[in-house]
Amino acid sequence: MMSRFFSPNLVLGIAPILLVIALWQGLVSFGFAPAVLLPPPGFVFGRLLQQLVTSTFQHEIAATLIRLFAGFAIAVVLGVSIGIAAAASPAINAVVRPIVRVLAPLPKVALYPALLLLLGFGHGSKITLVAADALFPILLSTYYGASTVEQKLIWSAMAAGSSRYEILFKVVLPAAMPSILTGCRIGLVISCIVVFLAEMITSTDGLGHALVTAARTFQAVDMFVPLITISLLGLVLNGLLGVVRSYLLRGFPEA
Amino acid sequence: MKARQNGRGSNDAPHGCANDSLSGRLLAKLMPLNPRASGTEGGMTVVSARSSEWVRPVTQQDPASAIIEIDRVSQVFQTSARKDHVALSDISLTIEEGAFVSILGPSGCGKSTLLYIVGGFVSPTSGAARMKGQAITGPGPDRGPVFQEFALFPWKTVLGNVMYGPRQQGVRAAEAEAQSRALIEMVGLKGYENFYPKELSGGMKQRVALARTLAYHPEVLLMDEPFGALDAHTRTRLQNDLLNIWERDRKTVLFVTHSVDEAVFLSDKVVMMSKSPGRIRQVIDIDLPRPRRRNELLLDPRYQKYVVDIERMFDESDQAGAPA
Repeated sequence: MMSRFFSPNLVLGIAPILLVIALWQGLVSFGFAPAVLLPPPGFVFGRLLQQLVTSTFQHEIAATLIRLFAGFAIAVVLGVSIGIAAAASPAINAVVRPIVRVLAPLPKVALYPALLLLLGFGHGSKITLVAADALFPILLSTYYGASTVEQKLIWSAMAAGSSRYEILFKVVLPAAMPSILTGCRIGLVISCIVVFLAEMITSTDGLGHALVTAARTFQAVDMFVPLITISLLGLVLNGLLGVVRSYLLRGFPEA
Repeated sequence: MKARQNGRGSNDAPHGCANDSLSGRLLAKLMPLNPRASGTEGGMTVVSARSSEWVRPVTQQDPASAIIEIDRVSQVFQTSARKDHVALSDISLTIEEGAFVSILGPSGCGKSTLLYIVGGFVSPTSGAARMKGQAITGPGPDRGPVFQEFALFPWKTVLGNVMYGPRQQGVRAAEAEAQSRALIEMVGLKGYENFYPKELSGGMKQRVALARTLAYHPEVLLMDEPFGALDAHTRTRLQNDLLNIWERDRKTVLFVTHSVDEAVFLSDKVVMMSKSPGRIRQVIDIDLPRPRRRNELLLDPRYQKYVVDIERMFDESDQAGAPA
């Protein structure tokens, strides 16, 4: 499991990151890589702070974040509703199961050229790609969670007078929440990767695009800045999801 | 994140659905009763009870006081090896309004299944169960279950759990909260309203589960080995408290247990069951004065005789039934 925020584990978690940065610094200091191609970390972080206040870079971050959030949100809504529906209805399951089996293993990035042609270079194509990639882990974990709800929770609600339909929302959905949130955590990491990838392949803005532009013009420092930014964003978003998770699962023993 | 426990609850009775897909499992959980469960076939013909010496026939002479009638109910499960397992065979039983009836038997005799049939959670393979003359076709708030596993909603607080029933019954939030707080106090958990179930001990969880069920005013309490998961001390305390609560309004209680002491201590009537196939062995009226006090009762020779007699009858049937 993830180390908790603000705990002794945080120190243990930071140590290896510092080690990587030290290694990076070492590579440059001992001349294994020329500073022009592999700029030292201090230089990159300095540049990052410098960039963060410029409106151009903020615009890149905003573009990436919009795509990431929109795609992830669509994936959560679709994944959870399809997952619950498939678990509750054999007819829906019969329809969904083959589609999932065919589409889940497909590298969704292979759809990206088609999406570009259909939806253009703007947000649409990237949001769709992110949603398509994040959907399946969320859908599958929702389905699993909804299918393994304890029988007696459902019986207790039935005896109290809840209809089947009400039980889906009042019992199955909350009872499946631990599983759903695990799917969301995986989906979020995938979203970070895919939005960056899509922007690297073809885009007019965003962090991925900034990296590719810098690489093409041999500006090594500017190449590393978006890279650090996306990992920091991923870290922050994962932390936020962790906060949401511990709030939603405050009653669950395993949380 | 570890995988959550798989769907099968700790000691679930199979719920009669052979579909092994996950989807089938949730569907089966959501609609345990299938339409063929009306159980009217054969109702006109006179069937001679196969195990007539053990079965007390459904008595019709005093229908005013009968609240639950179980009429020639049988339950056959398909095991994984595609063999039929007869869990209940030709059970007939009448439960009078306001009675505390225990179903006592060894594990695997189908006593929980019988309770689930009355609850409407499981449909019998044949025969029918009736509540106040109406065939039971599904769960309803007139029959409130309390399970051994507590089955509290982990995402709700104690108060939220207890309020669930009244809110489902359309009681306004403020009123439901007031009623629920009073019930929580009655089961001895005042001050724990905002705790989550995971923060409570087993005994406290079962108190919450009892309050949650009482909150929607069922006419019959269906208790499925409710104290089976508790330590001896907690168990005794809950038995006493249950009796105190029961003596206030004398709801009908159907209480499944494998403990002879518990059955005799609590009940007006003990239904002894034998296993494979599950049958009613004998129905024993427990003629002990109420209100019952544990310390008095344990010294009472009549209580001791009931316990010893019932244990002896189980021993005899074990010896008779064992293949050596």
